[in-house]
Amino acid sequence: MSRSPQPDAPRTSPPGPRDAVVVGGNRIPFARAGRKYADASNQELLTAAIEGLVARFGLQGERLGEVAGGAVLKHSRDFNLVRECVLGSSLSPQTPAYDVQQACATGLEAAIAVTNKIRLGQIDSGIAGGTDTISDAPIAVSEGLRHVLLEATHAKTLQGRLKALAKLRPADLKPLTPVTDEPRTGLSMGEHQAITTARWGITRQAQDDVALASHRHLARAWDEGFFDDLVTPFHGLTRDDNLRPDTSSEKLAALAPVFGKALAGTAEPTMTAGNSTPLTDGASAVLLASREWAQEHDLPVLARFVDAETAAVDFVHGHEGLLMAPVHAVPRLLARNGLTVDDIDFFEIHEAFASTVLTTLAAWEDDEYCRTELGLDGAFGKVDRARINVNGSSLAAGHPFAATGGRILATAAKLVAQRAASTGEPVRALISVCAAGGLGATALIESA
Amino acid sequence: MTAALTTSTGEPLDVESLPAVPGLGGLYARGAAAAGRIAAGRALPAIPGLGSSAPTDDAPLALPRTAYRVAGVQTAGLRTHLRDYQRLLHEPGADALPSGYLHVLAFPLATAVMVRGDFPLPLLGMVHLANDASLLRPVTVGEPLEVRAWSENLRAHRRGVTVDLVAEVHTDGELAWHGVSTYLAKGFEAPSTAEAPADPAPRGDWVPPLPTGRWALPGGTGRAYAAISGDRNPIHLSSLSAKAFGFPRAIAHGMYTAARALAEVGPQRGSAYRWTVDFSRPVLLPSTVDVAITADDHGFAYVGWNSGRQSRHFAGTVAPLHSR
Repeated sequence: MSRSPQPDAPRTSPPGPRDAVVVGGNRIPFARAGRKYADASNQELLTAAIEGLVARFGLQGERLGEVAGGAVLKHSRDFNLVRECVLGSSLSPQTPAYDVQQACATGLEAAIAVTNKIRLGQIDSGIAGGTDTISDAPIAVSEGLRHVLLEATHAKTLQGRLKALAKLRPADLKPLTPVTDEPRTGLSMGEHQAITTARWGITRQAQDDVALASHRHLARAWDEGFFDDLVTPFHGLTRDDNLRPDTSSEKLAALAPVFGKALAGTAEPTMTAGNSTPLTDGASAVLLASREWAQEHDLPVLARFVDAETAAVDFVHGHEGLLMAPVHAVPRLLARNGLTVDDIDFFEIHEAFASTVLTTLAAWEDDEYCRTELGLDGAFGKVDRARINVNGSSLAAGHPFAATGGRILATAAKLVAQRAASTGEPVRALISVCAAGGLGATALIESA
Repeated sequence: MTAALTTSTGEPLDVESLPAVPGLGGLYARGAAAAGRIAAGRALPAIPGLGSSAPTDDAPLALPRTAYRVAGVQTAGLRTHLRDYQRLLHEPGADALPSGYLHVLAFPLATAVMVRGDFPLPLLGMVHLANDASLLRPVTVGEPLEVRAWSENLRAHRRGVTVDLVAEVHTDGELAWHGVSTYLAKGFEAPSTAEAPADPAPRGDWVPPLPTGRWALPGGTGRAYAAISGDRNPIHLSSLSAKAFGFPRAIAHGMYTAARALAEVGPQRGSAYRWTVDFSRPVLLPSTVDVAITADDHGFAYVGWNSGRQSRHFAGTVAPLHSR
């Protein structure tokens, strides 16, 4: 017999969306590839970042809702990288974990995942993080060697194995180091951005200005002690070692272009090692929670994680630039929240290249582009330059791919908390991270 | 039993059935001998089983009025070969045969036409100018094929004569694929009074667009495509063998570059499509080739050039067709 539903019976409904907040963050200083962290693995880097966060907020033995994070350049043995980091930390071993991978947007995507679960009431607390090391990057064998080894492994007889191994050619022994080339185009990320830069007519001078500002802002923030409660020293490094407080317009102008050189005849190359992000090692972690959990644990709340939007663009045949996805995501994100560019106090636009910031701004100011590509009524708006990357960004700090989202989220959360404390007004920050594959992740946070 | 075959201009062709698609290796050996014969302007005895009378020195150039036909070409055993082709050309590992792969299957029969005793032009030394292939309906690995090939449309060119080698693939008694390869034989005179088209615009004026892709082609690219296609023309194999034919280094197969561009159009080409290419300057190996593959109103247009230079290698189109 089936029970018929009674219309007046009380129904249990799931808890409605609630606030997810940023409690705080911790990262290790970012190190240029092959230097201070040359001997450290992804697991060691991320464990150090998590352990620093645990120490800062007294989470020893705590069972968190989950830890999500990842690495972009990941060895196959690290299939459970984040879980292994949790087991190597002072968190309760009963804390679940999983790996996320979305190229340079990995860290922010992990934070989106954790905050969504918090907002849904599935968990009360969690950590989002990321790590990457160029110095300890996995090296793969050639396709030729891989096929031979697989065939030899699958062979049932010694003869079969020898027959497979006999197919090996000297060229097959050359190792494959990771590259940042897009698989479908064969163009490196820098070459892709050089094309986007040429399309939007971004000048060398404008790019060098962004790079100079990044170094000056980051140096000032370090000097002011902004990162004192956001960074834990590691392997003898106490500050990001890519930071050049003494760089100047002259020094940046003297550098030779490295990307877009093959476009000569079409566009002058403008992208140098100075206005492009260097390869870097590092890790970051951000503690996220419900307001109630933070209160129960007597922890501060820096900001509310309001909403997020990801996007992807059709870059394979050049319809859109590889790193332009956030340009599409942000107008959707702000529209959904009833906001315009003028309502945002801090813009954190990841500086994959100085020109990424500039092509993003140029696109938002372009009437026709915004109409045809973004489906808006006209230009999205002009962003006040004084609100962008006020404490520096990836050009100065470096960019260990999956660690960047956590660095930016913690920085933005502290910025809105500080400003709100001094003005008493609500303060908002927008985070925008472009990524390989034509991907982009963006998020909106607000003073708590 | 076979419907009458005609050229694209309606001229009737005799159909000669062969038991199998011949191997390219032997055809090249014959082609080399025939090239010597044609170059020397003297008739050697015709090759048994392949055509009959050789052209005489003074007669105007005329194409053989014979089409070759091979029925029951089995593809079930080609899965490994197909996979190797797909990996080399960046095609997805699907069971549907890409148009470039059907060209590889049909090309030897077209070559057999070119080494007939009565084919008036030398196989070796001819320049592949253009290709135009239509995949009218999907062909799947495992399907038995009927392959046909003939030559037609001998016409004047400012540097000699051009000829079209037509190849077709039929499945279930229906035309599935139709390919036209246009070759130039330098220094020959066309039989008709038709005038050669005027010179195209001078080359130096061309400005490349912004690229959408970059191919790093290693020195072994010609050998790799030769191993898959069977086209072991010496100009593709090594610097030494290419020098013998006047090239400073080995050159990539034109069809390798066109087939890679086709692959990189991606799934938007659909399951039936027309794919064209015009070859300009050869790709000397090793080389970095920049390509721009862009969508237009009809499908896709593509162009490839020497990275950083204003030297165009090839240009073509890929346009979806409505599947029959």
